[in-house]
Amino acid sequence: MVRKSRRKKPSPRRSSRRMARRGAARGRARRPRRPWRRALGYGLIALLVIAVGYTVYLDIRLRGRFEGKRWELPAHVYARPLELFPGRDLSAEEFERELGWLRYRAVGNPRRPGTYARQGETFAIATRPFAFWDGREPSVNVRVRFARDRVAAIARPGGAPVTLVRLDPLRIGGIYPDHQEDRILVRLDRVPKALVGGLLAVEDREFFKHPGIDVRAIARALLANLRAGRAVQGGSTLTQQLAKNFFFSNKRSLWRKANETVMALLLEWHYEKDEILEAYLNEVYLGQAGERAIHGFGLASRFYFDAGLEDLRLDQLALLVGLVKGASYYDPRRHPDRARTRRDLVLDIMEQEGVVSSGRAEQARQRPLGVSPKPPPGVTRYPAFVDLVQRQLRRDYREADLTSEGLQIFTTLDPLVQDRAERALIRVSGQVEQPGVKLQGAVVVTQTDSGEVVAVVGGRRPRFAGFNRALDAVRPVGSLIKPAVYLAALSDPERYTLATLLDDAPVEVRLANGETWAPHNYDRSGHGRVPLYAALAHSYNRSTARLGLAVGVEQVRNVLRRLGVQRPVEAYPALVLGAASLAPIDVAQMYQTLADGGFRTPLRSICAVLTAEGKPLSRYPLTVDRAVDPAAAFLVGHALRHAVEEGTGRPLRALLPGGLTVAGKTGTTDELRDSWFAGYTGRYVATVWLGSDGNEPVGLTGATGALAVWGELVRRLHPHPLRPEPPEGITYAWIDPRTGLRTRGDCEGAVELPFVRGSAPQDRAPCRGGGLKWLRRILR
Amino acid sequence: MVATHLAVTRGLARRWRLALLCWVAVAGCAGPGPQRPAAPVQERGSDGVVETDAVGTSGAVGPSSRAPNSAVVALRREAEREAVVGRLDRSAALLERALRVDPRDPALWHALARVRLKQNRYGLAESLALKSIRYAGGDDALRAANWRLIARARAAGGDGDGARRARDQAEALQ
Repeated sequence: MVRKSRRKKPSPRRSSRRMARRGAARGRARRPRRPWRRALGYGLIALLVIAVGYTVYLDIRLRGRFEGKRWELPAHVYARPLELFPGRDLSAEEFERELGWLRYRAVGNPRRPGTYARQGETFAIATRPFAFWDGREPSVNVRVRFARDRVAAIARPGGAPVTLVRLDPLRIGGIYPDHQEDRILVRLDRVPKALVGGLLAVEDREFFKHPGIDVRAIARALLANLRAGRAVQGGSTLTQQLAKNFFFSNKRSLWRKANETVMALLLEWHYEKDEILEAYLNEVYLGQAGERAIHGFGLASRFYFDAGLEDLRLDQLALLVGLVKGASYYDPRRHPDRARTRRDLVLDIMEQEGVVSSGRAEQARQRPLGVSPKPPPGVTRYPAFVDLVQRQLRRDYREADLTSEGLQIFTTLDPLVQDRAERALIRVSGQVEQPGVKLQGAVVVTQTDSGEVVAVVGGRRPRFAGFNRALDAVRPVGSLIKPAVYLAALSDPERYTLATLLDDAPVEVRLANGETWAPHNYDRSGHGRVPLYAALAHSYNRSTARLGLAVGVEQVRNVLRRLGVQRPVEAYPALVLGAASLAPIDVAQMYQTLADGGFRTPLRSICAVLTAEGKPLSRYPLTVDRAVDPAAAFLVGHALRHAVEEGTGRPLRALLPGGLTVAGKTGTTDELRDSWFAGYTGRYVATVWLGSDGNEPVGLTGATGALAVWGELVRRLHPHPLRPEPPEGITYAWIDPRTGLRTRGDCEGAVELPFVRGSAPQDRAPCRGGGLKWLRRILR
Repeated sequence: MVATHLAVTRGLARRWRLALLCWVAVAGCAGPGPQRPAAPVQERGSDGVVETDAVGTSGAVGPSSRAPNSAVVALRREAEREAVVGRLDRSAALLERALRVDPRDPALWHALARVRLKQNRYGLAESLALKSIRYAGGDDALRAANWRLIARARAAGGDGDGARRARDQAEALQ
């Protein structure tokens, strides 16, 4: 018989009770734990929601930035096209210079478009075809003959006369209108293989394999850093570096690192390896040029070696790769030894990883750094002008339109005038600069009738992009403001005419803050009672102050706005003497309206924008507005002409070709910190500023500084004498300047002045000295 | 008698010669005067006071004596063709190009004003017409045409009074 162990089977009743007891015990033990766990559960869910939300947010930002940056074609910026027609003022030398800029080749027999031949004053030329915003210009074969600095005749080879020929425009730059940095974009398939190989070997060996982060690289780096006791290696992938470059400042923190990691994963999720690599090649920070950051290998290649990326040698490519780790630390111009060591290390790695053969690596290590001694100027020859173009694009076009690739932007720049303006500034500023003073300057030139900006010079080194003084040097304008004061006065012909006598006696004004303002004349003396036109021409402060206060500061401010000055100015009493700060471009607008007889045309630098396919984006038409009473403007113009004939602008007469009538105003500020001249000829309005960036005294008045630059510029332009047309309602009368009364033309000292009809004084002054007495004496 | 006659004649001649000489000398000494261009001879709606001998140095009274520039003529013709078929933007661009050749041709400003009027840009059309008037000199027909254009622009823009004033100006010129 088998004895079975008999386990006592618990009776059902007893077991249920026990279970209940056990359950109760467990319940007792569970009850305190449950809320804690639930809280944890909820907390985790909340965290997850936040994390997902944040990731989505990062994702949106990332894609916005990444898509927005994946342009390939820059917008082409063109200068105005050179138009040839019989009678056009242009010298043979200027023509040949423009052909040089346009890269026309001098050949024996010009037949292919883009060639020419010169024989004395006659050119044979085959122009290049071009699709302009207003139509397609075909290639033409013509002979152009010059005489006396003008186009004398244009004819086809057979002899048939031609009335108008338009050359292809000079390309002055490539820009990315939706952001302001320079770029030279490179496409992955055009980048030298050695560069890519070297970059991956040094920075991210597993680039094509990892999902955005390389755990092994991180581990390796951690180990190396621990061993060294400090950070010697980074474990970031190229993708992480791209994320860093795109979005974050240089501040390093754990939070940033976490963000980068997430971004890197998202980038890899959305985009192909090739796309990421290409973006990286164009984004990576590789140097600094003053205020400009150098991003991307394309631009860096130009910046360090003045050559295209595809033209670089192995050693040069290795140098660039080495810069990725620290562009400032390994700057080859400032730290050549460090740069050399780093470059050679890169070559070592490239050799180890089999990117290049030992032979080539050794050859490369032998070479010197080969960096060009000075960084070249930016991607455009005319950075100050292109800066204006960028701003006006943003001002007048929809941002969405500007992101299209390959836009064609037709501007108003005249390279010939620009060239003259640059030379004038450089030459004269060098002559008048005082020792111990860092003189700077700016020039803006516009066309009177159209408001087109033909030249912008931002500083004494025009090739270099930097602080654009023409647009951004906001400086007190001094006496340049006076025409606005006189314009306000002359708009009320019942009270003021050019003959009205003003009191140049001392004037004192109690200001709102309790102080007293007592302006004095430049020569520290009074001039008694002076006719209004002379007070402006000689720029007397006391009479102007009195006039300005009588007219009202608010009125003067009003006139400034109507003249087109948009920058806000404060309505202090001292405004009437120029205690207002404007940039040269603002002054240019103000004098534009004066020069154009009261017609205000907003200054523009862009004629038209076309898409890459040739469709117009939205044109800039010629807009004009009769903002100021033309009669009053004409009267002010008369005084400004007189300013050059007899007043503070007199030194111009010696500089300009004989008989050239111009008008203009000098401006000098306290302690000779700013030297201004703004004036116009029959065709151009030019504004010149000289001063120091640090606002130090430069020892120049308007007449000794800016005027000299202006004169040098204008005398080298083709002469366009001022031939002002009096508007309706202007009449002339002879005035005795001492009394402001009518007189006869043959009386001593009489001057002929324009007046608004009906406002000329009726009372006569006794005629002094003149008359026909002496004639009668001879005849007797 | 002959001798006396001769003496008198010679004396007279001398006086006349001297007078002529002095007149020429005075004219010479007076100099060219300030550079003053043509001012209209007759003041429209004058208040009765004739101010001065307002004939300017260029004496441009009557129709504008501008030699038409062949390039401008060609561009204008093309602009007109474009306007006729309704390509107004292109027409305006051609006129602007012509203005770069000759910025003071009043006919060009007038033509551009007409294009802008067709494009319902009334304020701009008026300003352009005013510019044309400014350069029109003594060309009354052109000035009148401009004032009529301004009248149409003002009327279209809702300025009835201004339109009437402009029409009056036009009529006064014809």
